[in-house]
Amino acid sequence: MREEIVRVFSLYFFLGKKSGRARTFFLLSSAAVLMALIIRTYRLAGHLTEDGQVIFQNFLMVFFLQFLIVLLGLFYGSSIVAEELDSRTLPYLTSRPVRRTAIIIGKYLAYLSLTSIMLVLAVLLSYLILNLDPDFRLKDLMTVLRYSAILWLGLAAYLAFFSFLGTWLKKPILVGLAFGFGWESVIQYFPGTTQKLSVAHFLKSLLPQYASSSGKLGFLFIRLEPTRPLVAVLILAGIVAVFLSLACLIFTYKEYLFED
Amino acid sequence: MTAVIEARNLSRWYGNVLGISEITLNLEPGITALLGPNGAGKSTFMKIITGQLKPNIGQVAIFGQPVWNNRHIFRRLGFCPESDAFYEELTGLEFLTGLLSLYGFDRKECLDRADRALELVELQDVSRRPIRSYSRGMRQRIKIAQTIAHDPEVLILDEPLSGLDPLGKRRIIRLIKEFRDAGKTVVVSSHVLPEVEALTSEIVLIHNGKILARGDIHFIRELLDSHPHMIRIKSPQYRDLARLLSSQDYVLHISFEPEASAVVFETHHRDRFFDRLNELVLDPGLDLEEITSPDDNLQAVFDYLVER
Repeated sequence: MREEIVRVFSLYFFLGKKSGRARTFFLLSSAAVLMALIIRTYRLAGHLTEDGQVIFQNFLMVFFLQFLIVLLGLFYGSSIVAEELDSRTLPYLTSRPVRRTAIIIGKYLAYLSLTSIMLVLAVLLSYLILNLDPDFRLKDLMTVLRYSAILWLGLAAYLAFFSFLGTWLKKPILVGLAFGFGWESVIQYFPGTTQKLSVAHFLKSLLPQYASSSGKLGFLFIRLEPTRPLVAVLILAGIVAVFLSLACLIFTYKEYLFED
Repeated sequence: MTAVIEARNLSRWYGNVLGISEITLNLEPGITALLGPNGAGKSTFMKIITGQLKPNIGQVAIFGQPVWNNRHIFRRLGFCPESDAFYEELTGLEFLTGLLSLYGFDRKECLDRADRALELVELQDVSRRPIRSYSRGMRQRIKIAQTIAHDPEVLILDEPLSGLDPLGKRRIIRLIKEFRDAGKTVVVSSHVLPEVEALTSEIVLIHNGKILARGDIHFIRELLDSHPHMIRIKSPQYRDLARLLSSQDYVLHISFEPEASAVVFETHHRDRFFDRLNELVLDPGLDLEEITSPDDNLQAVFDYLVER
C-alpha cells in the first residue's frame, strides 16, 4: 500500500507543480509577503510605531488562519475527485493497479505538500520582513516555526475535510465555501462548547499567548474559550484521520459518472 | 477456447434510462468488435468490464476474477476511453511515464516503455510537446499509447479509430491486428461498419442496450443485406433511369422528387443494384449528378433488424 501511495503522490506532486492552479495560489499566498514589505517600508518611514510581532499576529489571524489555509484546503481538497470528473481523466487512474485508498491518500499528500510549501514560504518571509532587525534572536525563529506548524496542522485538517466533501458530493465547492467562510467564521465566536464545532477554534487554542491580544484585531480572540493545547492537537489530528478515512471509504465504493 | 472476459446477465440503468440489459457474452482471445449506433450501450458495457462502473444486475469476470476494484486485473488490462480527455499540461512523454509509474516500474523502465509505445503510434517526434498542442489524431494516438505501454493481455478500446485520418486509421488497425497475432484479447467498439470489417470478422451487434446478433462478418453482412436500402439519384434523366431499373426484381419501390430532378429506389440487393447502375452509367445518354443513401447508417439498419 505504501508503495502505491508513493506512486500516486509522485505523479500528482509533479502534475500539481505544472498546473496553472499552483501558480495562482502561489501568487495569492505571496500577497502576504507583499503586504509585509509595504508595512515594513511604512514603519521605516516612521508612520507606524506598532511592534512587528503584533502586526504579524494580525497577519496570522486574518490572512493565514482565517483565509489562506481555508482557501487552499477548499480548492485543493474539493477538487480531489471533481477535477478528474470535470476533465474526464478519472479512468486513467481507476484502471491502474493501485488501490482506490492509495489514490486518495497519495493525492491528499501531494496537495498537502504543495500547499504547505506555499504556506510556509509566505509565513516565514512575511515574519522575517516584519521582524528582522538587529535584536532578532533564535527565540523569534522558534516562534515563527511554531506558527508555521500550527497553520500546517490547520491546513492538513481543512484539506482532509474538503477531500471528504470532494469524494462525497458532486459539487463540493459551494458547500465548502459555506463551511469554510460561513460556518467557520461565525461558529468560533459562539460561547460555550458550540465554538468547538469549528477547526479554527482548535487552531486558536494553540496560540494561547494571544488569548488576550492587544492588537487592533484582538476582538477576534475575545470570546475564545481555549481547549488545552495537547487536546487541540489531538483533535486536529483526529479530524485529519477521520475525514481522510471517510474520503477513502467513499471513493472505494462509490462509482462516479460523467455529466452526460 | 477459454473465455477471457465473461459477462453474465449484465444490466445497468442510469436513473430511468437503460444503459444495457441482460447482456451475456464470453469473449476469447482475438479481436471482437462491438458494433452499434451511438447510445447503443457499447461504452456502458466497456466501462463495466473495465471496472469503471458497477452493473445493477449480473457479474463480470476477467481471467475468472471480478473486475471492480481488482488491481491485479488492472495490471493485465489496457483501457482506451472514448472521451478526448488528458492532463493537458503534460507532454506526451510525461503523460505516458506518469501513468506507467503507477505500475511500479522504475524510472528507466517507464522511459523505455513510453518510448516503445510512442514509436508504435508514431509520435516520437512530438513526445516533448504539451498534449494541449496535439491535433485530434495525435491525441487519439497518445490515448492508444497509454493503453498499450504496459503491455497488457487484454485491450479494451472504445472507438479507437475516431478522429484519425485514413493513414492513421490504417496504422492503428495494423497495430491492433499485431496484438491479436500476439494472442491478446482485444475488444473494440465502433459505430462504423467498414472500420469494423477492416479489423475483425467477429462482430457483436448491440442496439438499445441489448445484443441483437453475434457472429462472423458474413452472417452480419447477410443480416444487413436483407435490409432494404434507399438510394437517391439526381439526374436530368431521372425518369429514364427509373424506367430502365423498374423491371429489375431487386428494385422494390420507386418514388420521384420532380422538383429536385431525383428518383429514390428501394432495393434489398444493394450490390446488384449498383452493378446494374454502373452498366447504365456507361450509356452515353445518361448523366448522373449525385448518388446518396438517405438511410445509409447503422441506426436505420438496426431499427429494421429490431422490427423483424
